[in-house]
Amino acid sequence: MNSNTPLLEVNKINSVFPSGDKIVRAVNDVSFTLNEGEILGIVGESGCGKSTLLLSLLRLIRYPGKVESGEIRFRGNDLLQMSNSQMRAMRGKEIAMIFQDPLSTLNPAFTVGEQIRESLRLHNIVGNSNAPWPFDRVQREQEKRRVLQIMEEVGIPSPMDRYASYPHQFSGGMQQRTLIAIALACNPKLLLADEPTTALDVTIQAQIMNLMKQINQDRGTAIILVTHDLGLAAEFCDRIAVMYAGRIVEQGTVDEIVETPQHPYTQGLLNCRPRIGERQKTIRPIEGNVPSLANLPNSCAFASRCSFVKDACNEGPIPLFLTEPGHLNRCLLTSDYKRLPEWDWDSLVEQERAQ
Amino acid sequence: MRGIKILERVLGTIPIMFGVAIIVFFFIRLTPGDPVDIMMGGGGAISSGELENLREEFHLNEPLHIQLWYFIRDAAKGDLGYSYVLKQPVTSLIGDRLPATIELAVGALLFSLIVAFPIGVISAVKQNSWLDRISMSTAFLGISMPGFWLGIILILLFSVRLHWLPVQGRITLGTGLEQRTGYFVLDSILTGNMEALKSSLLHLVLPSVTLGAPVAAVIARVLRSSMLETLRSDYVTLARSKGVAEWWVVIKHALRNAMIPTVTVVGLQVGILLGGNMVIETVFGWPGLGRMVVKAIFDRDFPLIQGAVMIYAFTFVMANLIVDVMYTYLNPRIRLQ
Amino acid sequence: MEANQNVRSPLEDQIYIWRIRLEIWWQNFRNFVKALSVHPLALMGGILVIIYLLSAVFADQITVHNPIQGNLRIRHTPPVWENGGSWEYPLGTDSQGRDLFTRIVYGARISLSVGILSVGISVIVGILLGTLAGYFGGRFDSIVSRLADLLLAFPFLIFAIGVMAFLGPGFTNLILALTFKGWVEFFRLVRGEMLAEKTKEYVEAARVTGQGHVAIMLKEILPNIIQSVFVLGTLRMGYMIITEASLSFLGLGLPPNIPAWGSMVAAGRDSLLVAWWVSTLPGLAILFLVMAINLFGEGLRDILDPRLKLEG
Repeated sequence: MNSNTPLLEVNKINSVFPSGDKIVRAVNDVSFTLNEGEILGIVGESGCGKSTLLLSLLRLIRYPGKVESGEIRFRGNDLLQMSNSQMRAMRGKEIAMIFQDPLSTLNPAFTVGEQIRESLRLHNIVGNSNAPWPFDRVQREQEKRRVLQIMEEVGIPSPMDRYASYPHQFSGGMQQRTLIAIALACNPKLLLADEPTTALDVTIQAQIMNLMKQINQDRGTAIILVTHDLGLAAEFCDRIAVMYAGRIVEQGTVDEIVETPQHPYTQGLLNCRPRIGERQKTIRPIEGNVPSLANLPNSCAFASRCSFVKDACNEGPIPLFLTEPGHLNRCLLTSDYKRLPEWDWDSLVEQERAQ
Repeated sequence: MRGIKILERVLGTIPIMFGVAIIVFFFIRLTPGDPVDIMMGGGGAISSGELENLREEFHLNEPLHIQLWYFIRDAAKGDLGYSYVLKQPVTSLIGDRLPATIELAVGALLFSLIVAFPIGVISAVKQNSWLDRISMSTAFLGISMPGFWLGIILILLFSVRLHWLPVQGRITLGTGLEQRTGYFVLDSILTGNMEALKSSLLHLVLPSVTLGAPVAAVIARVLRSSMLETLRSDYVTLARSKGVAEWWVVIKHALRNAMIPTVTVVGLQVGILLGGNMVIETVFGWPGLGRMVVKAIFDRDFPLIQGAVMIYAFTFVMANLIVDVMYTYLNPRIRLQ
Repeated sequence: MEANQNVRSPLEDQIYIWRIRLEIWWQNFRNFVKALSVHPLALMGGILVIIYLLSAVFADQITVHNPIQGNLRIRHTPPVWENGGSWEYPLGTDSQGRDLFTRIVYGARISLSVGILSVGISVIVGILLGTLAGYFGGRFDSIVSRLADLLLAFPFLIFAIGVMAFLGPGFTNLILALTFKGWVEFFRLVRGEMLAEKTKEYVEAARVTGQGHVAIMLKEILPNIIQSVFVLGTLRMGYMIITEASLSFLGLGLPPNIPAWGSMVAAGRDSLLVAWWVSTLPGLAILFLVMAINLFGEGLRDILDPRLKLEG
């Protein structure tokens, strides 16, 4: 396996939901890559489609929604072309996911230990016996030991006692650790984290993020972190992709995004945050509202709220411009720079520059 | 620890049974007329001398609460009074007919559960499919239909027109069933009497279906409703993200949680089973407790009616107790308070 | 603007307030009807119920024959669509030679009046007790709740049969038997809602402005609860009617002369083989009425209070 091949290559995927007689384009022509052991942050406000993006990666979009087009190449194989059983073998084992509200994500009817053990059993991590209960005692014992190990690793105190606890008996932080334990049980290569700390207290947030960082360093697990908190992403991630109205509007390394943001939306997001140590400028919110995902314009979706808007912004699809190696920006402001080759919408932009 | 909780609940039914006894006690006082007459029912004429003796015997000269005490004490001992109409103790009369009623009730319950569970689950999984629509329409019909009418229609169709199933009774005469437990199905198995087994089962079909149909309808609807909710929940998405196969997600992850509110409804439906029991037994000429009570009403055999109502109520309370325990078992949040 | 705008008489104020209220009610009603029309089934149910109601009220006008006296010579005439039937007796005649159509129409009177009365009284009693118990709590609440729990230990039909057995047949006895246990459900609903609403802020606000308890209960809380009660009542009415029919079937309802659907079905059992319509058609009448009520009730529930969904 060539270490230059990215772990995950997402190519122009579109996820849509029919709603009434309209189509909601939750994920609109999204592409990005992720290397092994990398941490990618996907930042955007609620409703911009970032959760749907994660669900699309695991093909968990429920009918009647679907991933309409594109490729999702995981270690070279296109997930969208796989059969259902192949996909199921991927889920939990190669790619795992943790969710936002741990209390509602854990099944209230089963013990914590049992839920972690289920992952092990599903993918035959510990043993291979397909014997039904109660003939699988040996394997269950082994699995239980492994579960206790994992529980300790994610920081659940006294795992032996906690194995038979139910989710509602845990605090929020411990519940989230349980979710992480479930995700890690089969040592996946990629961890998808959908706002894992949003429902938690700030102190617990820090603990969980540290835990995840540790996992990334110890196990080399790549992580895609979806969050609305740009600051969190800045602390934690290697690279950041900013999403707006279903599209990626800017992508780059953490430093590039935070120090030299190029998309007006990203700049707006950074301006929104009060900063310690700086003379407090007035916090400037971004005016306006996110357009409905069912009524997306073909041109720039941010145009109505942008302080730099020009006529050309409303006239056609905005391509992604490559401003520095690895730094992509979907905005005409940067049309000075090199464009990614697949667009042929030259004339209008040239006209713009001539003025 | 769980055992104590169960014990608590069992003990909790005792005050309820007390209350039931009190209410039933007062039932009989509703009837206008001379109490001795009432106790005797249509049992016969008596001389005035005997009247006084009987008054003593029925404790009618004592204050009300003493009478109540006698009543409860006797009931707790298993003595539910004496039927002057049928000239037998109430308890043995009820005991004779109880197996037939239980067989019917069990048959109906089995039928309704076997029908309602798959339908409820599948309708929820395949929401809005033709299967879903047909099932729910049928279920709607089921809750709107009077039971006695369904029974008559089924008799018309399956017995009279098609001759597939017998019209009345519990078993065809001539199969020579030797009774051991009073439960015909059980007895025929125990005595190896295949004719009797076949006959008793065939006789069970229509009454069980009639009695169980409205119950099945309700359970199917509630189950579907709960399943729809659980299937939308986050933990189901998590299960899928772990790689669990869809059918397993439905059965293990979703159903387990959907059963929690359903179980409570099942408990209430047992009440419908017990009530409808009387009607259905009448329709099908089933020789059980219900039919005996109906006849007792016309015979004005009040002690018998009283005893039977107590037994029905008692059974209902027990059934709800079982449901309660099951609920505690199914719902960890309640279990561990 | 008039010069003396701010010197309105109290009477004018009152009229103004009531006009506004009337307009709001009218708007709500129109929205309701519009919502209902989206549910065609519910609407159909409602219309069918109205048809039944009208038939019951105008029974004399729409029927020709005598529902109680029959002509033995024409007994067991089949309905019009069978051999030997005629339009004079469109649904056939029973074993006493009475026109079935007439009897069914008159039977509607019984079923509907029993249904409406029993549910109505149960609702009123339930609201009364529930409001008081929920609002004031204390001993009253414990006692009534205990009583309610106790009554719940009896299956509904068993209880009704028990009461009828001891009281004897008769219209009032029937209503009594049904309401005796019927109020419990409404009591619980109202009490539960009352407990929940009691702690809400608008109640605090009302109390702070000096409103008395009764006023608070009536004007503030009750309007919010009324909807759920109404929906539950509609849903329960079908069950009451079926129970009444079952009681009549067993001969426990009304004196045998009076045409009640249940007793008609029972009477027809003897002639089931020769005259299937005598039992079947009255039962069909019950079925359609209850279906119509349930359709309407469920539509109502979907519009007003989907929370009640999980109660079968």
